[in-house]
Amino acid sequence: MRRLLTLVLAIAMLLSLMMVAPASAAEPTKLEFWTFQALHVEFYEKMAEIWNERNPDRQIELVVTSLGYDDMHNKLLIALQSGTGAPDFVDIEIGKYANYLMGETQLVPLNRVVEPELDNIVRSRVDIYAKDGNYYGICFHVGASVTYYNQEILEAAGVDVNSIITWDDFAEAGKVVLEKTGVPMATVEANDPWFFLQTLSQQGSDLLTPEGEPNVNSDAMKKALGFYQQMVKDGTAMVAPGGGHHAEEYYGFMNFGGAASVTMPFWYMGRFTDYMPDLKGKMLVMPNPVFEVGQPRSVGLGGTGTSVTNQSQHQDLAVDFLGFAKLSEEGNLKIWEIMGFDPIRKSLWGSEELKKPNKFIDYFANFPFDALIEVQDEIPAIVVSESLPKTMTAVRTSIMTRVFEGMEDIDTVLAEEQALLEQTPN
Amino acid sequence: MKQRARHITILQILLFTVLAVITLFPLYAIVLASLKPTTELFRFGLNVRWDLPRMSFDNYVYLFTGQEGYFRWFTNSLFITLIQTTLTLFVSCFVGYGFAMYNFKGKNLIFAGVLIVMMIPLEIILLPLFRLMLGIGLVDTYVGIILPFIAQALPIFFFRQYISGLPHDFLDAGRVDGCSEYGIFFRIMVPLTTPSFAAMGILVGMNSWNGFLWPLIVLRTQSKLTLPLGLASMLSPYGNNYAVLIAGSVFAIIPILTLFFIFQKYFIEGMTAGGVKG
Amino acid sequence: MNKMPFYKRFIYNQKLAPYVFTAPFVITFLVFFLYPVISSIIMTFQNILPGRVEFIGLENYRRLNDPIFFKALGLNLRYTLWTLAILIPVPMLLAVLLNNKHMRAKNFFRSTLFIPALTSVVVAGTIFRLMYGELPGALMNQIIGLVGLKPIKWLRLADYAMIPLLSLAVWRWTGVNILYFLAGLQNIPPEMYEAANIDGANPWQVFRHLILPMLKPTTIYVITISIYGGMAMFTESYMLWGGNRSPNNIGTTIVGYLYRKGFEENNMGYGNTIGVVLLLIVLVVNLLQLLANGFFRKEKDA
Repeated sequence: MRRLLTLVLAIAMLLSLMMVAPASAAEPTKLEFWTFQALHVEFYEKMAEIWNERNPDRQIELVVTSLGYDDMHNKLLIALQSGTGAPDFVDIEIGKYANYLMGETQLVPLNRVVEPELDNIVRSRVDIYAKDGNYYGICFHVGASVTYYNQEILEAAGVDVNSIITWDDFAEAGKVVLEKTGVPMATVEANDPWFFLQTLSQQGSDLLTPEGEPNVNSDAMKKALGFYQQMVKDGTAMVAPGGGHHAEEYYGFMNFGGAASVTMPFWYMGRFTDYMPDLKGKMLVMPNPVFEVGQPRSVGLGGTGTSVTNQSQHQDLAVDFLGFAKLSEEGNLKIWEIMGFDPIRKSLWGSEELKKPNKFIDYFANFPFDALIEVQDEIPAIVVSESLPKTMTAVRTSIMTRVFEGMEDIDTVLAEEQALLEQTPN
Repeated sequence: MKQRARHITILQILLFTVLAVITLFPLYAIVLASLKPTTELFRFGLNVRWDLPRMSFDNYVYLFTGQEGYFRWFTNSLFITLIQTTLTLFVSCFVGYGFAMYNFKGKNLIFAGVLIVMMIPLEIILLPLFRLMLGIGLVDTYVGIILPFIAQALPIFFFRQYISGLPHDFLDAGRVDGCSEYGIFFRIMVPLTTPSFAAMGILVGMNSWNGFLWPLIVLRTQSKLTLPLGLASMLSPYGNNYAVLIAGSVFAIIPILTLFFIFQKYFIEGMTAGGVKG
Repeated sequence: MNKMPFYKRFIYNQKLAPYVFTAPFVITFLVFFLYPVISSIIMTFQNILPGRVEFIGLENYRRLNDPIFFKALGLNLRYTLWTLAILIPVPMLLAVLLNNKHMRAKNFFRSTLFIPALTSVVVAGTIFRLMYGELPGALMNQIIGLVGLKPIKWLRLADYAMIPLLSLAVWRWTGVNILYFLAGLQNIPPEMYEAANIDGANPWQVFRHLILPMLKPTTIYVITISIYGGMAMFTESYMLWGGNRSPNNIGTTIVGYLYRKGFEENNMGYGNTIGVVLLLIVLVVNLLQLLANGFFRKEKDA
């Protein structure tokens, strides 16, 4: 009797286990995600929704943590190095990315999903997150540098935007604009390099040498900084109020026609729609001027690579989901729709889908992707190495402010900063 | 003579009135800013202009409905502050009593420790303290925030001063009545020191409610963040969320202000009575 | 006595009691203070990489010859000196005035001046960051505009950076220090004022020869915590500049630099070296100050 009871119990238990197993498989898997940008949360939540519809047997549930920019990167570094506390996948900004590739990389290679798509995407946007042939991150966008012009101001000054081909044209137009309307042609940043880096790549140079060493004391640097410093001296350019193009003071200034143009990456569009509502219908998106005709007119700037950490319990799932979100046509379309970024899947750029009205299409006076398609073969990437974080820090906190705010002698500044950078360990 | 005294008093009152206005002015400005759309701020900067048609409680509505974090941070901070204040007050009073009531070998050495901790900024040991927390698994926990600062030097010093000023005879009276050493503390001492609890309670509570650097280092998960951390996370190089930052800042002052006004009398009395007598 | 159960013997033991009472402090001191300080000192001789620690002798100390470190040190030193110069005499004077028996609405003023201390640095920093905005319409620029001055970029030029930092400190701490001095003033028995009045002392003489000496312990205490607070200032800078970075490092503090090196750049060795140097500075400055003020002499007499 007792033996029978035991047997029944054992079978019952086995059955219940078997019943539970398939049920738990349908339970969504929790994936923890960290970011420093609220916009990215919206995007990933949307993508998770679509993913769950497509993959009923591999459902996911995102657990999102959105921290401050510095705070998130610091905590991620500590979590990865201490071997505990890291999320399944995470947004890492390009300026900080090299920190996470040092020593033994704590991120998971994404080659399985990246390699099949290499021909469809702007390759440099995964190359910048690669090390030793492994792709560790996928970017949100190309971040192509473009120039946004305030059509109203140009018209008032009688300047035709299509006549601005070179930086000399740009400076000349600036003088006309200043004379006719009293506002500067451009603003420079004292705390960020976004407006400026394309002038380096146009000259085939960069903040780093091709080997990845700091290279701020270069002729290209001198020429580009000299060009802008001269404009500031002439009054045709000024330091953006608040110090940069992300300062609230600048948004207010620009919104009310403070300057005729701003050179920023494509992803800056969202700032126009969110913070400068009064410029609706007045802004043109155009390719950048160049020093000499034939130079590449753009460069891919900024960026956030999403990566999977090796502490994840569900690495395969996280990699698959990431590939779907960042590489698929739908994902790239959503990147444009939700965030107004230039998606890395360049095959999408000419498609009719992109022309569907959204808040970005409605805002700008021309179709933003025209500028992008025009320069699509002229978008190199910047050099990324372990020296980039400290070099960017020097550019952000010292070089820009000394040159444009202090109006110091460029040769001196660059020589000093280069020497300092060479002393500083990575 | 009397006439002169009155003139001086009027001058004094005038002086303090001016100071009070200057003191309250920034708060007035921020409350006003919290009622205006943030685009106003971008356009003009912080100002004190009244613009009734454009003023509303929208920022506050957004604070509690538009994004989920704020209320959570608020309750987290409330929770931590409550626990930390209670524990710290109790433990500090306990230790302070030991210093005030007994003479024992090593007392001066231990008290020198209190003075040293009072003098040295804890920020200096952030890095090793954090590694210690990592080692014992207290990172991203509230225990990790509270535990290292449970026996704080300043409150211990304060309670030692305060209790020293009380008559000592109850110690012997208690012993005669058969109380244990701890019975004396719990049954006789704690009720006697309650007035000073209010003063220290506000100071400790204030520090806990406003704590920034240590929680910034220890906490990770967003849902665990405290109010100051949550607010600071609204600052980012890609654009600051001023709606949450400003309305959230104003709202964060309210609980501590309320507490202060309720206990104000005890606070000032406690501070002045216990005081720092060196 | 020996027949008592163990726990009773324990709780009635008068010799043991003080050690039990002070144990919570001793334990916290050893675990959360002494141990970190010692390991901090050890780390200054190391280069710490994930999974690899190597001794590098004095290399981290040699590295201190670093312009940004000196800039940060200079900022904290100037800030500390300024706060001492303002936040000791002014609150002391105000406390004396408030303590005057003819003064009205004492409670109201005392509380009002204390209110800023209740706002966190995060909140206060946000307010001051906005007040010192660089637009002509921002509060401070409007105010200086009233006397005909041009708008200033307060938070971006090295010459002005001290002003927002200092006014934030004055705003938040005046009320607290007034309270400390008021507490000190309660220790002066009223008879002493009367005696002074009978002797025909004028207000200045009363202040100089009666109030000032009686406030000495309080003053020593306030100086000590001001040095502590001034040298360790970080959150103020963090909030005013919206993060641990400022143009050309005009707002970088020692703790901010320690945080940057130790956490942001993950250089624990160098970060700790900065911390140990800060520790030495604060300790030496405070000991000198206490010595000069006769703190130890007094302890011996008592």
